[in-house]
Amino acid sequence: MASVTSGSKSGVSYDARGLVEPDAEVPNIAEIDGDNARFDATELSTRQINLELRRLVYGENLASVTVVNPGSKHSLGVGILKRCNLAFEGSPGWFAVGLIDGPVVRIDGRVGWSCAENMMSGVVVIERGAGSLTGAAIRGGDLVVKGDAGARTGIDQKGGTIIVMGSVGIATGFMMQRGKQIICGDVGHGLGDSMYDGTIYVGGTVASLGVDCVPGDWTDADTEFVQRKFRIHKLGDAPELQKFVCGKQLHNYDSLEPSERKLIL
Amino acid sequence: MAGTRTVSIDAEQLAGKRFAYQSDISLVESIDLMAATPGDDLNWLEDIELLVEDGVPAVFDRNSNSFLKIYFEIPEGRENELARKVLIKHLTEGNSYGIQLKDVHCKFPQVDIGPWVENPRSVGSDWKPPVLEGWEAPAPH
Repeated sequence: MASVTSGSKSGVSYDARGLVEPDAEVPNIAEIDGDNARFDATELSTRQINLELRRLVYGENLASVTVVNPGSKHSLGVGILKRCNLAFEGSPGWFAVGLIDGPVVRIDGRVGWSCAENMMSGVVVIERGAGSLTGAAIRGGDLVVKGDAGARTGIDQKGGTIIVMGSVGIATGFMMQRGKQIICGDVGHGLGDSMYDGTIYVGGTVASLGVDCVPGDWTDADTEFVQRKFRIHKLGDAPELQKFVCGKQLHNYDSLEPSERKLIL
Repeated sequence: MAGTRTVSIDAEQLAGKRFAYQSDISLVESIDLMAATPGDDLNWLEDIELLVEDGVPAVFDRNSNSFLKIYFEIPEGRENELARKVLIKHLTEGNSYGIQLKDVHCKFPQVDIGPWVENPRSVGSDWKPPVLEGWEAPAPH
């Protein structure tokens, strides 16, 4: 079968069918200066970039690594399970820094779908916008998006904090189970639909609330939390926010029959 | 503990023993939670709170999906702080069952204990499939 390849502005041709990249050789191209390293990813494939990252973080035990020109390649920086500083000068693609546990990540550009999905701990700061499913299923840590984010932000969130300085799309916080979200701008339809727990703060307008998402009572703890997060991430003054929580009327909280539930919801 | 039945999973049952820091507050008092977590606040530990399991104060360890019970008296107002300290002690000493499984079952290189310690050991670089003694693969049909 003839291989199907596509060109790319990033300088790398890849198999458009998504087959595994066969080149498993570590590039060894980073410039290392003391505890810091930096390398240009323009000519590297996803696998080579991740191999180089892992060599520098685990093998060389460096504290900080900067990836220049990530070229919107997908799945960069995934599965780093160690305290370190990662920086991307440019924009990674889908699933950037997913499954991480510990790193503090700064992304100069924007990101595609599912950035920081399943993050266990750490900090991810995105200077521009993010695609759909940002922070999907995160379990801990802080994820800060300084631009807008797409639909289903924080879907299935199980912990941690997602802060979006701009607006977000539909179904934000869908099936959220724990953790907190601070959305400074507007929110699309179905906010917090079927959420089990957690808290969502919204600064702008909410197109519509999802099933079992209700306004919550503001407390001093909310003020302390929001102000602390804005302070440590240097986000300026927090806007006035509304608080939304789970109404706890869904099937998992009672023993109602489906017909009875419809009357309530 | 063998033979007891509980609905949830108990860290002591998984480990086969009780750890000293579950009963002695002095063993966890000096733990620096900020140093144990990334970022400028408690980060993931913020979600960790003191819970109750089987009528006993406990903290949940997501690495082994089990409850770690706390037997010392917890001063009022310090519930979450001490729960977090007991958990961090449990994790940094490598006593979480999920961490112990890594040595045997990791199929690719990764850190053993996690980001809670400065330079964790790497495990999983020489994984071999387990062999059941005396077992032979059936002859193909």
